Amino acid sequence: MSVIDSTTLLRDYRPPAGAYDEFLRGGGQPRSHWSHVGTALSELGHAELLRRKHEVDRLLDADGVTYNAFGSADPRGRRWSLDPLPVVIDSKDWSTIESGVIQRAELFALILADLYGPRELLKRGLLPVAVALGHPGFLRPCHHQPSLRAGAAAPPMLTTYAVDIGRDATGNPLALADRAQAPSGAGYALENRLVISRVFPSLYRDAQVHRIAPFFRALRRTLQQAAPRKSDPRIVVMSPGPWSETAFEHAYLASYLGYPLVQGSDLTVQNGSVWMRSLGRLEPVDVILRRVDDWYCDPLELKPDSQLGVAGLVDAARRGVVSIVNPLGSGVIESPAMLAFLPALAQHFFGQSLRLQSVQTHWCGDPQSLRYVLEHLDELVMKPMAREAGRSTVLGWELSGAAKTELKARIESSPEVWTAQAPLALSTTPTLTVDGFESRRGVLRAFAVSQGDSYTVMPGGLLRVAPDDSISIISNQAGALTKDTWVLASEPEQLTGYWLNQGPVVEAVDPVGSMPSRAAENLFWLGRYAERAEEVVRLLRVVGDRRNDFSNDANPAGSQCLSLLLCALTSVTATFPGFTDAAMLSDPGHELFNLIVDVDREGTLAHAIRHLLDAAYAVRDQLSNDTWLVIGNLDREIVELNANVERQSAVQGALGVAMQSLLALAGLAGESMVRDPGWHFMDAGRRLERAMQLIALLRSTLTVEHDKATDSLLIESVLTTAESIITYRRRYRSQAQVQTALDLLLLDRGNPRSLVFQLERLQADIAQLPRSQSGSTTDRLLTEERLVLEATTSLRLADTALLAEVNEAGERFELDQFLQRLSELLRRAAEAIDSDHFARQMPQRTFGQPQ
Amino acid sequence: MRLRVFHRTEYDYESPVSASYGQLYLLPRRAVGQEVVWSELRIEPTPDSYNEFLDFYGNRAANFSVSSSHRRLTITATSEIDLTGRSIISDDQFQSPTWEATVQALKTSDDPDILETREFTFASPLIPKSEAISAYAFSTFQPGRGLLACVSEITARIHADLEYQPGSTSLSTTPDDALSLRKGVCQDFAHLEIACLRSVGLAARYVSGYLETTPPPGEERLQGADASHAWLSVFVPTIGWIDVDPTNNCFVGTRHICTAWGRDYGDVSPVKGVIFTDARNTAMTVRVDVDHV
Repeated sequence: MSVIDSTTLLRDYRPPAGAYDEFLRGGGQPRSHWSHVGTALSELGHAELLRRKHEVDRLLDADGVTYNAFGSADPRGRRWSLDPLPVVIDSKDWSTIESGVIQRAELFALILADLYGPRELLKRGLLPVAVALGHPGFLRPCHHQPSLRAGAAAPPMLTTYAVDIGRDATGNPLALADRAQAPSGAGYALENRLVISRVFPSLYRDAQVHRIAPFFRALRRTLQQAAPRKSDPRIVVMSPGPWSETAFEHAYLASYLGYPLVQGSDLTVQNGSVWMRSLGRLEPVDVILRRVDDWYCDPLELKPDSQLGVAGLVDAARRGVVSIVNPLGSGVIESPAMLAFLPALAQHFFGQSLRLQSVQTHWCGDPQSLRYVLEHLDELVMKPMAREAGRSTVLGWELSGAAKTELKARIESSPEVWTAQAPLALSTTPTLTVDGFESRRGVLRAFAVSQGDSYTVMPGGLLRVAPDDSISIISNQAGALTKDTWVLASEPEQLTGYWLNQGPVVEAVDPVGSMPSRAAENLFWLGRYAERAEEVVRLLRVVGDRRNDFSNDANPAGSQCLSLLLCALTSVTATFPGFTDAAMLSDPGHELFNLIVDVDREGTLAHAIRHLLDAAYAVRDQLSNDTWLVIGNLDREIVELNANVERQSAVQGALGVAMQSLLALAGLAGESMVRDPGWHFMDAGRRLERAMQLIALLRSTLTVEHDKATDSLLIESVLTTAESIITYRRRYRSQAQVQTALDLLLLDRGNPRSLVFQLERLQADIAQLPRSQSGSTTDRLLTEERLVLEATTSLRLADTALLAEVNEAGERFELDQFLQRLSELLRRAAEAIDSDHFARQMPQRTFGQPQ
Repeated sequence: MRLRVFHRTEYDYESPVSASYGQLYLLPRRAVGQEVVWSELRIEPTPDSYNEFLDFYGNRAANFSVSSSHRRLTITATSEIDLTGRSIISDDQFQSPTWEATVQALKTSDDPDILETREFTFASPLIPKSEAISAYAFSTFQPGRGLLACVSEITARIHADLEYQPGSTSLSTTPDDALSLRKGVCQDFAHLEIACLRSVGLAARYVSGYLETTPPPGEERLQGADASHAWLSVFVPTIGWIDVDPTNNCFVGTRHICTAWGRDYGDVSPVKGVIFTDARNTAMTVRVDVDHV
C-alpha cells in the first residue's frame, strides 16, 4: 500500500507524446497557470485524492445526479461520473476561446434569422440549399416566426448556444460541433462546480477561479426579456419527462432558476394563448425554456405522433404570444456540413475570419470535396447530415475493405448528406484512477447565452473525457467522465448582479399557479406509496417475529395467530389469493419473499417503492436536496433486492434498511418541506393511505373472536404493527382488551397512528387544497371534504364498547360494518380528490395527416 | 371562365372531443393561370382562435383551435376563381431543353430563380429515394431526349400502369408501394411521378387543388361527385413551372384550380388536425362541388 500512497500527480503523471497536454509542458514541468493547483493536488497524494473521489461520489449521490443513457443496464440511468481533478485554463487562453464562442453564436443567430426569413444566403449561393433546406432540422412551419424576425426588439433567434471544443496537437482550440437545439450540459457543469468546490474548498478559494453563477443570472435575465408580455412574465422549463437522458438537469435548472418544470401535457393552447394546467386553473405562459427537441414540440405542425409536445404551439409562436427558447427550428445549424461554410459566412456578415475555427470539414455535396473524401476515406471521420437511427458517425480508418466500398457507394449515391472531418488529436489531461494518474483525451462544451445584442459565455464549461485511453468518440451516451473546468481570473473577480436586490418589493409567485397539476398528482401518490411501503414493512416485520417465535412450535395459539396474520397480510396488501390458500399457509416462505421483492406485483414492497420512486422522479424539482439522498438509497435498495432474489437471508436485513429510508423520507416531509399545496397533497396521500391500511388491518384481524390465547397474541401483533404497543402497555397495564385497543387505534386523537388522527389531518390538508375559481366564493364543501367530514364525524361518535361486542356467531359484526363504511367513504374521497384537482387529458389523436 | 368551389368536411365523433386544433390548406393561392375573386372559410363550432398566414411556399394556410367540448366539427371553404389559362407548350419546347441540360442547370446554376427550385430536387418526407422508382424512370429518361417529351411519356406510363381506385391506398402509402400495387388515388399518382422526376435530378413539386369535371353530353352535372385533386409541377428553366396531371394523363390547362403547393402531400394536407378525445371512431363526410358561375 505504501507504494501507492506515495504516488503523486507531479511525479507519476506521464502524458503520451503527440497530443497537447493541459497540465504538463513538453519537459514534464507543469504549465505556469497550473503551478498552484498542480502543486496542491500533487501534495494531497494519490490516496487522499481517492478519498476525495469517494466524497465526490457521495455528494453526487446525495444530490441524485444521474444521466439516463439508452440501453444502460440500470433502467433508472447511471450516476453522473465526475473526476475530482479539475482542468485549469488560464485567463488569456480563455479569452481567446470566449471571444471565438461569442463570434460563432452571433454568426449562427444571423444565419438563422436569414434562413427563416429572406434566405439571401441561399439566393446568393453563400450556403448550399442542400445544407440548409436539405437538413431535417430546417422546419418549414417555423418560417417567419416573430422571434425569428430580425430587428432590435425581437429576441435573437439563438438564445442559448453550446459548442464542443477540442485542441489540436499544438494546443490550438477548434470547434467540433455546434449545438443550438436545446443544448444540454450547463446544469451538469453547475453541479460539477458545486461538488468540486465542496471537495477542495480551500484550493478552490485560493485559486481565484471564475464563478459560473453569473451565467445563470444572465440566462434568467434573458428569459425575462424574451417575454412578449413584459410585466410579470411567466416562464416554464419544458422537459420530455423523467425518463429523458438529461432529466436530472431539467429539474435541476428549473429549481435553480425558480421556474415550474413542465411536460408538454401540462401546457395547452387556448383562446390563442399558451397556458399551464396548474391546480384547478390555467396559468398564462409567456416564455418556454425548452429541453424538448423542436421536431417533437407540436403534433399539429411538426411530428404528428409526438406525445411530448403541445398542439398549436407553432402557431402560438408564429402569432408572437409566446417566446420559445431556443426558437423552434434552430437545430438546423447543427448540420455538420455548416462548418465548411462558416469562414465565408463570417466574412460575409462581419468581414472577419473565424476567431474559433472549426475542425477541417469537407461537405461531399461539393464535387471537389467529394473527390478528396473518396480518396482519403481512411483518414477521415464521416458524419451524416442528421443524427438519427441507422446513420451515425463512421471512422474511416476502422472500416474493412468491403465496408469501405459499401460506404463509398452510399456517399456517391447521396453525397449531399455526408460530411467528412479530419480527426482531431484532442488534448490530454490527468485523470484519477485507482492505480494512479492517467491521461485522458477531452472535449470541452462551452455555453453561451444571449445578453443584449451579444452573448455571455460561461467561464469554463463541461469537460468530458474518454472513459479509457482507446475510445475515439467522447459522449455521455458512450460513458464519458466529466471534469470541472477552472478558468483562472487574471485579477480578483468583482461580484456583480447580486441576487439580493434593492428596490421595490417583488410580489411572491402564487404557489398554486406555479405548480402543474401533474406535479400535485405525483406528490399525492408519492405520499400514498411511501405510506403503503412503510405499512408493508411493519406488517412483514411482525409476521417475521411471530414466525421466529412459533413456526416450529407446538403452541396452537401461536401458530393460529401466525396464520391469521398471514391472512391479514394478504388482505391488507390485496395480494389474493396469497395466504387464503391453505397450501400457502403451510409453507409461507416463498410467498413472503415474493411480497418483498416482486416489483411487478401490485401490493408488494418492491412495487410500492418502485412507484414511490417513479412519482419522486417525476417531481424532482419539487423536492428538497436532502430528499435525494434518501430517494437514492431507496433506489439502490430496490436494485439490490432484485439482485439478491436468490438470497432470502439478505432480504430480511434489507427490510430494516428500507424502513430507515422510509422513515427518513417521512421525517423530511415533516421538517423540510414548505406547507404549500404540494405538501398538502402529499400529506393527504399519506393520511388517506395510513387510514385505509389501518382499517384493512383491523377488519382482517379483530372482527372475529378467537380463543383467548390466540386473541392476546393477535391484539399484541396488531398494536405492534400500528406502532402503538408501547403506549398501550403503559396505559392499560392489565390484560389486553379489544375495546381499549380500539380506543387507542381508532379514537385517540393524541396517537399519531390512530384513525381519528389521520382523518383530522386529512381534513386539514383538504381544507388547504386550491379551489377552482368558480367555487372560491361559496362555503359549499368540496365532495372530498363532505366525505371526510362524514367519516370523521361517524368515527368521533363511535362507541367502542358497542363495536367490541361479539354476536352469537363469534363475530364483531358492528365493527366490521363500521369499518367497511369508513373504508367506502375514504375510497370515494380519494376518487374525488383525483377528479377535482388532477387535470385529465383525453388521448391525443390526429386526422388528415400521415404518421 | 369563373368557377365556384365549395368544399365541406364534416367530422362526427362517437364521443365528445375536448379540443380540436386544425390546419387548413383550403383557400386558393395566387398562381399562374388563375385569379382568386374571393374566398372564405367557416368553421363550426366557432373557433376560439383563428390565424390566416402565408406559409413557407406562399400558400394561404389557416390555423384554428376549438377548446370547448364538441361532437361534430364542420369546415366549409368556398371560393370563386377566374381561370385565365396558361400558355400552350410548343412542339419545340417538347424537345428542348433536354432533361440532362436541365439537371445540369439545377445542379450548378447560381441563378437565384433556379437556386430556389433546388429543394424540389431532394427527397421529401413522403417521397423518399427509391431504387425501384429510379429504374422505372430511367427507361423513359434516355440520353439526349427533350425534358417535356420525357415528362409527357412518363405521365402517360403512370396513367397506364396505375389503376385509379379510390380507397385502395392510405395517407401512409409510399410511392414505392403504389408502384408495386399498381393502383392508387390522385395523390399516389402525383407522388409517384414526382419521385420519378426527382430520381433523375429534376425539380418537381406537389400541387393540391380541384378539377372541374365536364359532364358527359346530355346529362346533368353530378353534384358532389367531384373531390379535391392533386397533380404536380416540373421546373423547366426556360419556361418556368409546368403542371402535369398523371391521373388524367394531361398537361394542366383551364380545368385545374390550384390551392397550394409543396414538396409532397404532407406540406399541404387540405385538412389536418389534432383532437383530444376518447372517441375511437370518427365518421368523416366530404362534399366538393365545382360549378360554373
